[in-house]
Amino acid sequence: MGDTGVMPAPDASPEVPAIALDGVTKRFGREPVLRGLRLEMAPGRVAVLRGSNGAGKTTLLRLLATRLRPTSGHGRVFGYDLQRGGDEVRRRVALLSVLGGNYAMLTARENLALAATLTGLPDADVDGALAHVGLAQVADVLTRTFSSGMKKRLGLARLLLVDAPLWLLDEPFAALDEDGKRLLEDALASARAGGRTILMASHELERSSRFADAVLELEGGRLLRAGSGA
Amino acid sequence: MSDLAAILAVARKDLLQEVRGRAVTVATLFFSAVTLVMMAFAIGQDAALLQRSAPGVLWVALAFAGVIASAQSFQSDLEEGAFDQLLLYPVPRASVFLGKLLANWLYLTLLGLLMTPVTLVLYGAPAGPRAWLLVPTLALGTLGFALIATFYAALTANLRAREALLPVLMFPVVVPVLLGAVRASEATLQLSNAALTGGWLQLLGGFDLVYLVTCTAIFHLVVEE
Repeated sequence: MGDTGVMPAPDASPEVPAIALDGVTKRFGREPVLRGLRLEMAPGRVAVLRGSNGAGKTTLLRLLATRLRPTSGHGRVFGYDLQRGGDEVRRRVALLSVLGGNYAMLTARENLALAATLTGLPDADVDGALAHVGLAQVADVLTRTFSSGMKKRLGLARLLLVDAPLWLLDEPFAALDEDGKRLLEDALASARAGGRTILMASHELERSSRFADAVLELEGGRLLRAGSGA
Repeated sequence: MSDLAAILAVARKDLLQEVRGRAVTVATLFFSAVTLVMMAFAIGQDAALLQRSAPGVLWVALAFAGVIASAQSFQSDLEEGAFDQLLLYPVPRASVFLGKLLANWLYLTLLGLLMTPVTLVLYGAPAGPRAWLLVPTLALGTLGFALIATFYAALTANLRAREALLPVLMFPVVVPVLLGAVRASEATLQLSNAALTGGWLQLLGGFDLVYLVTCTAIFHLVVEE
């Protein structure tokens, strides 16, 4: 990881879409949350996903991260099928969730070290990532004592450490203070410059749109509008 | 990264959390102690009956404590979306299962090693020259139990009624392991035909192998929604 926190994308090829969804439907029980989504996003593009609560934004991000299986339809990430190529997809995806994804009884350093080990980067610069997000002073503190904003910063540190070609961000600005938001904006700008593909669900449209090539509107599980460039 | 490194990282994470939180340790130790003492009171003064009951009571206490430990190992994962994050790393689902299994197995084996001498003393069971065979009996018995408990704890982790459903679902499946473990313990303590010890241990090993292959192979189906 360099000063900006992001290296050039390792395997983004302009011929293969970063995201390709073809008629993807996801139901929980009988209730459809995503309805026949079609979406293609080229590598290196940044898109903001907006929609009201319950529109299906988080479901779409979790589906792209292989945490949810489509009920019907097909999806690919960098050419790898979401269901049959799950391991390959996960090598290319990083998700910043609303909850943070941290273990409360581990320290910030241990949480990141676990991420580095499980990503196959045992020599990754954990301390550098913590310093980058302003958590160096609390590196050895259990994260159960962290505020929501600190947990979000730790999630951002993991995102920078894992350094995947596709970033999936679920309300990334939520819970962050102004410093934290600027930090995230810097990371997004660097990621975009480094060729990362970014799909972010956000209610902070003005802030997130600064980096976006397209704004996608999801409502009732349907994609109503796709702005240019997605 | 090797799958072994992933397995060890997940197991270390689970054990570290337990060492720090001690929630499961306190609950299982207390529960096991109460079970052993209450059953001893219930059985009464009959020394021969107490001796014969020792292996069964030991495994009942271990089984109940094991349910608590396994359920809790996924509960801490579910907080703050950590289990979601764990399943996003590019490691085979089987490695996640084996890591959690390793942590649960080590914990249950340690608990068994702690409870065994207490049970022998409390129930007046003889620790003869073959008592060392209780160690492989515990290791194989707790492995079988941990396999089933870890698998079903993952299956029920996202359900509202998980505390009620986990024992209902897993105990019918785990009965062969518990019966084998009780019989092997009886034979080891020479409370039944000692010559059968090897056979019971082989049977336990066989159960463990079948459960290990099956649970590891289908774990990914359990955690994908």
